[in-house]
Amino acid sequence: MKKERADLLQGTLDMLILKAVSIGPLHGYGIIQRIHQLSGEMLRVEQGSLYPALYRIEQKGWVSSRWDVHDTGRRAKFYSLTKEGESQLEAEEAGWELLVVAITRIRQAT
Amino acid sequence: MKFFNILRERLRALFRRERVIDEIDEEMRLHVELEKHANLSKGMSEFDAQREADRAFGNYASLRDAAYGVRGGGMLETLWQDIRYGVRVLVKHKGFTAVAVLTLALGIGANTAIFSVVNELLLRGLPYTDPERIAMVWEVTPSGRHENTTSRTNFRTWREQNQSFEAMAAFSDQRLNLTGDGPPEEVPVQFTTPELFQILGSRPLLGRVMNSSDADPRKGQVALLSYGLWQRRFGGDPGIVGRAIKLHDSSFNVIGVMPADFQWHIKRRSGTGKAPEIWTVLSMPSSGPSLLGRFLSVVAKLKPGVSLTQAESDIRAIEARISQDDPEHNKGYSAEAIPLREQLVGNARSALLILLGAVGFVLLIACANVANLMLARAADREKEIALRTALGAHRLRIIRQLLTESLLLALFGSGFGLALAWCGIKALIAISPRDVVSFQNVGINFTVLGWTLGISLATGIIFGLAPALEAARINLNDALKEGGKGGGGQSSRSRRIRSAFVVAEVALALVLLSSAGLLIRSFIRLQNIDTGFSTDNILTMVVPLSSTKYKEDPQVISFFRQANERIKALPSVQAVGIVNYLPLYGGLGSSTGFKVEGRPPLPPGQDPGTNVRVCDSGYFAAMGIPLLRGRTFSDAENTEAKHVVLINQAMALKHFPGEDPIGKRIDVSMFLKPNPTEIIGIVGDVRYDSLVDQPEPTVYFPHPDLTYEFMTLVIRTSNDPTAIAPAVQRELRAIDSDQPVADVRTMNQVMSQTRSRARFNTLLLGLFAALATLLAAVGIFGVMNYSVTLRTHEIGLRIALGAEPKRVLMLILKQGLLLTVIGIAIGLAGALVLTRLISGLLFDVKATDPVTFGVIVVFLGLVSLIACYIPARRATRVDPLVALRYE
Repeated sequence: MKKERADLLQGTLDMLILKAVSIGPLHGYGIIQRIHQLSGEMLRVEQGSLYPALYRIEQKGWVSSRWDVHDTGRRAKFYSLTKEGESQLEAEEAGWELLVVAITRIRQAT
Repeated sequence: MKFFNILRERLRALFRRERVIDEIDEEMRLHVELEKHANLSKGMSEFDAQREADRAFGNYASLRDAAYGVRGGGMLETLWQDIRYGVRVLVKHKGFTAVAVLTLALGIGANTAIFSVVNELLLRGLPYTDPERIAMVWEVTPSGRHENTTSRTNFRTWREQNQSFEAMAAFSDQRLNLTGDGPPEEVPVQFTTPELFQILGSRPLLGRVMNSSDADPRKGQVALLSYGLWQRRFGGDPGIVGRAIKLHDSSFNVIGVMPADFQWHIKRRSGTGKAPEIWTVLSMPSSGPSLLGRFLSVVAKLKPGVSLTQAESDIRAIEARISQDDPEHNKGYSAEAIPLREQLVGNARSALLILLGAVGFVLLIACANVANLMLARAADREKEIALRTALGAHRLRIIRQLLTESLLLALFGSGFGLALAWCGIKALIAISPRDVVSFQNVGINFTVLGWTLGISLATGIIFGLAPALEAARINLNDALKEGGKGGGGQSSRSRRIRSAFVVAEVALALVLLSSAGLLIRSFIRLQNIDTGFSTDNILTMVVPLSSTKYKEDPQVISFFRQANERIKALPSVQAVGIVNYLPLYGGLGSSTGFKVEGRPPLPPGQDPGTNVRVCDSGYFAAMGIPLLRGRTFSDAENTEAKHVVLINQAMALKHFPGEDPIGKRIDVSMFLKPNPTEIIGIVGDVRYDSLVDQPEPTVYFPHPDLTYEFMTLVIRTSNDPTAIAPAVQRELRAIDSDQPVADVRTMNQVMSQTRSRARFNTLLLGLFAALATLLAAVGIFGVMNYSVTLRTHEIGLRIALGAEPKRVLMLILKQGLLLTVIGIAIGLAGALVLTRLISGLLFDVKATDPVTFGVIVVFLGLVSLIACYIPARRATRVDPLVALRYE
């Protein structure tokens, strides 16, 4: 059976969440949508596991949250990137680059 | 910041748990709904859209729990659960909780009370500027008497020549009559050089303190008032500064008032024994005979960076030069410096530390008792704990739960303990010794509260750890087995731990008991000491005549003769006398040189010394001091100087060995010109300086030969001496209506104040030892009683097989007594080492006194026997039928 979706590597979810909210404030569902969309519809995070991760990130101070009214007229919690979150995102992206380079080298080794 | 964010979140979760869960729910539900909407817009049916959305989200319940795990109370929430559970358990087992809390409250309360005293007297900073640089400087006499006062000349030399002190002040306390603005009153006055206030760094509440310009006698005399006197006598008059007050019939100009919290009183060698209420300038004339009299206390402030040892050797070198330059007055004298705190607290320090150690022991015994209770109870809870373990509770979690319970117990205990301490401190202040330090400011403050919290947490861990570890060690199989013997399965390890606790309790109790026993024995010795005078039915009061009003000696003598006649005529009065200083007065007690006529003169400074007392013949009768040979003063000698003296037996033995002193003439150096006096009699020895010092040679002058204006009346009555006090004062007012009296006390009160410190130490250590014994007895009883319960089956079997009750009794007693004997052996070893620490508090009893130790061992053995006997008796009553049926 051919895989149409990439599995999420352990520990990358934080980076994806940070990236998603770096563009603008989003609620939880919006974050899932944006990750899906940004990945060219390749990545699909298990939706419910977003929340524990999101709360952890919030406690670390990388995102801040605010209750606001959603388009549907109901209350939703919107997350936005903090200053600390910005530098964390940079650090994680740099780490990711290194990992990709390293893995690519290993794969190309003969 | 981040930490506080998390903490705030967690606390929010703790108290608004529902709210946090609702928020998470709201967020997640919206998520699922939005997904469903998206599905619907893709053309799915209502049912499919919902199902797909649910599936995509994952396991809602477990994800919500995971999310709550992040946001919820976390550790705090578990702690909160533990606390609530712990409180429930403690409330459920009311009996156990009450006993444990009471035990801990006694231990913690005693610790808090004693610590509050230690904190106030030993730890808290003295209320002066740089108090650690302040020291007292004294002379040491050739006979080795320490902390002796010095003379004006020597003080001046010290002050001029020393390199170590930035300032030195000399002072002397006296009682003077304050007149005007109300009835005449005798107040303690401190004459001091102005540097005193610079040294202490204390500021006045009103006006100013003294400065060097006040020392100029042409500018008139100045007075600085204490807050208490200002309030009492002058009604807190804000315009007091600049007013004149009449002291000793001369006028003093008030320059200031000291604040209420200003305290300055060196009780050592204080001529009044009371905190000064007025400060005035000590005159320092440049010449005159009074310069040589030794009556000055000296306080000084070290220069920054100079050590006390350096300063002391500096002052010693100066003193050595002084005694070389003027051997006649200073030969053999040395000097010493004592830090101010040591001077103020004195040897109360070692006594307090010993008491603190004693209450520490009491607390340890209390801990052992509660730990034993918890171990026994752990057996009853075995099933509960096994069940929790089986349901997946981690061992650490169980230990934490049990420790939380013991900490709760400790905190409850310390709550009650604080209440006990509060009452205890009131009692401590009431019985506190009056001689050296003041307990008045002792109380519970934040330092004390911190200490209490600290020891109660430590206590909780100490008594909770062993039972918690023991409980968590549980064997699931045994414990959950049907019919598990409700505690019968307790490991022998746990029994050994409890036995060890009992041994430790007995050992600790023995150490305390033997210390208390030694103190009690030495207190009894002190009580029965032969002071040389009787104490019952004697009233004393100080009558200070004013030297400006009674200028001539005959006036003074006449006043006291009249007083004597009038008081003698009162009903129930048996004898009346006067003396300048009562025994145990704690005043100067100086040693004055004398020459015996007809003996070759000795080199200067090597004359023998004697104490000097001034009295009349009635004094010996009133005090019950026996006349051993010769006669006492005649009526003529009581009213006119006839140049006669009495001596005591110590004087006769020491300075007239093998000869008859009566008829010999001596010249005591109390007079400006030679004044030989004839010895007419020998009286019994009296302990004047202190109860513990041997009587010293003493010469008694009749009042006309050496007239003091400041005398103490001694009145012997046939019944309660206090009843006569008003009549005596009436008679004195009939002679002079302005004449005040002071210090109206019975001789028994004088004695009891002298013994107050010994009584304080003995009482407290005795109390703590009693408490320790009681707790240890409860501990032994508890363990033996529990052991009988565990062995019911075995005992029942023995009885069924024909064991006599006596054998069963012995079986249990042997077990308990074995523990006691081991405890006593360990305790004895410890006590022999530790009682050395209290040897400084003992009088006429060795720290290893075999009698005391013997009595204590037998006593503790008996106590433990009784504690074992009750459960042993219960064992003999075991009904074999009932005991065996349980199997």
